[in-house]
Amino acid sequence: MSVFIKYSKPGSLGAVFNVQVLWRFNSTTAESIRKEEDEEFRVLDILKKKDRQQKKQIRRADIQPDRADRMATDQNWGNVWPGPKTFHPSSVPLPIRQGYVPKGQAPPGKKANAELMKIPNFLHLTPPVIKTQCEAIKKYCTEWPKLLNSEETIEKHYPLEIISSDYCHASPTIRNPLARVVNLRIKLSSLNLDKRARDKFLRLIGDRYDEKTDLVTFIADRCPMRKQNLDYVNYLLTACYHESWSVEDWESEKTEEDMEYYDWNNNASKRSLVNWFLKCNNEEKELTDEEYKNFDISKIPNAEGYKNAVNSLMNDGECDATLKTYGSSVRKLLGLPEKKVT
Amino acid sequence: MNSSILKLAQICTTGQINQLSTVLASQLHISAPLCRVVSGKYRITKKKDRPLTYEMANPPHFIAHRKSWNSWNTSSLKDGLRRSETAVEDEFIRRFMNGTWHGLVCSEVIIKRQFNHIRVAAIIRRAVSPMKMYFLLGYTEELLSNWIQCPVTLELQTVDSFKDVVFKYI
Repeated sequence: MSVFIKYSKPGSLGAVFNVQVLWRFNSTTAESIRKEEDEEFRVLDILKKKDRQQKKQIRRADIQPDRADRMATDQNWGNVWPGPKTFHPSSVPLPIRQGYVPKGQAPPGKKANAELMKIPNFLHLTPPVIKTQCEAIKKYCTEWPKLLNSEETIEKHYPLEIISSDYCHASPTIRNPLARVVNLRIKLSSLNLDKRARDKFLRLIGDRYDEKTDLVTFIADRCPMRKQNLDYVNYLLTACYHESWSVEDWESEKTEEDMEYYDWNNNASKRSLVNWFLKCNNEEKELTDEEYKNFDISKIPNAEGYKNAVNSLMNDGECDATLKTYGSSVRKLLGLPEKKVT
Repeated sequence: MNSSILKLAQICTTGQINQLSTVLASQLHISAPLCRVVSGKYRITKKKDRPLTYEMANPPHFIAHRKSWNSWNTSSLKDGLRRSETAVEDEFIRRFMNGTWHGLVCSEVIIKRQFNHIRVAAIIRRAVSPMKMYFLLGYTEELLSNWIQCPVTLELQTVDSFKDVVFKYI
């Protein structure tokens, strides 16, 4: 017990109390009680283990308990985590663990886990939050035109496609030089061109035409801004279109060597066929080029099939199928028996 | 090797060329190349008392397998813009953080960039008073955003002591 050193005047309450204590110190009974209280066996604690354990339990007063422990289960998560943020264990009430550990151990928990802070999280993009955000921006949307209900109608009414890219990147500037590139696509069949103009158009644009998809593609990246490049591709398309419609004087000088495809009517094959037909009928006569061209082959039996076979052989190239049709058409034309299948 | 060359020279000078082939066969040998990777790895101490964080416990070749990058930006992607500038700025931010929060940063400084926004994340020891921490936070954000000319946000996590981030002892 403690020793009171204060002496007060007799007659007051404090004085009485002090007297009693002083008396207890002097009396033998009081001393024996005190001994019984301290009867516990004292251990010599050299390493001071007891003190260490006590130190650990001390909690610092200036540190708040985790916010995650006090969160209501029906709270609005969008208010807790409104925007993109690095992971913080005190605000996320989930028992998350991350890290590689040997088999049989538990991965490190969410507290003081740098791996969780590194990875980008999507805690601000939970489904209900996305839903509310979509609801909020819905008033700025317009309805889709009802008549444009299929790909075909869209292609028919809007044949021109402009493709350009926007870039999102981490940098103090939002400019990206690649954003200037503009790509214009249009189906060749949607352009109003006749046979001659189409041929001229294809010759003008060169390798910008893809036969498989029937698409004409103009790419412009020579100007520094996207607007300028857009104007440039539009100019290119317009210029090529009008140029292909204009007929120059020298275009009449086109010969058979300049033809982009094989026309059977203009070639030696028809000439020899006509000559052979006339000889068969004993009508030897000299024909001019025009007469050869305009000779009606429907008089000759099986000549139509021969014409198509030669055309496909010359235009599509030599392959098993074209050669086979060519052979069978010649047999039909000359009245020979069908080739026996061996 | 030197001694063998000397021997070879001696043999040549003395004219014992017929012994040359045997000497070459016995003396010339190829050793394993000395290309042990040392960087980013820690040695095991005798007492096994070196504390390692998770980041330190996984050597660099485990990046993208067991641990992820400390810098997240689009410059390191293929055809990324401002590669060198980003790397230098990141190094500057790391050094500034380590110096400003002296002895308090317990983990690597993680730098994430989104558009022109830079997020700096780190684990900080609670060794100074909250008032000082708030001051340092504002000070760091203000100075960094003035230098880099970008909004900079510090997203810190605090721990009681360095022991909280220790992953294992080797």
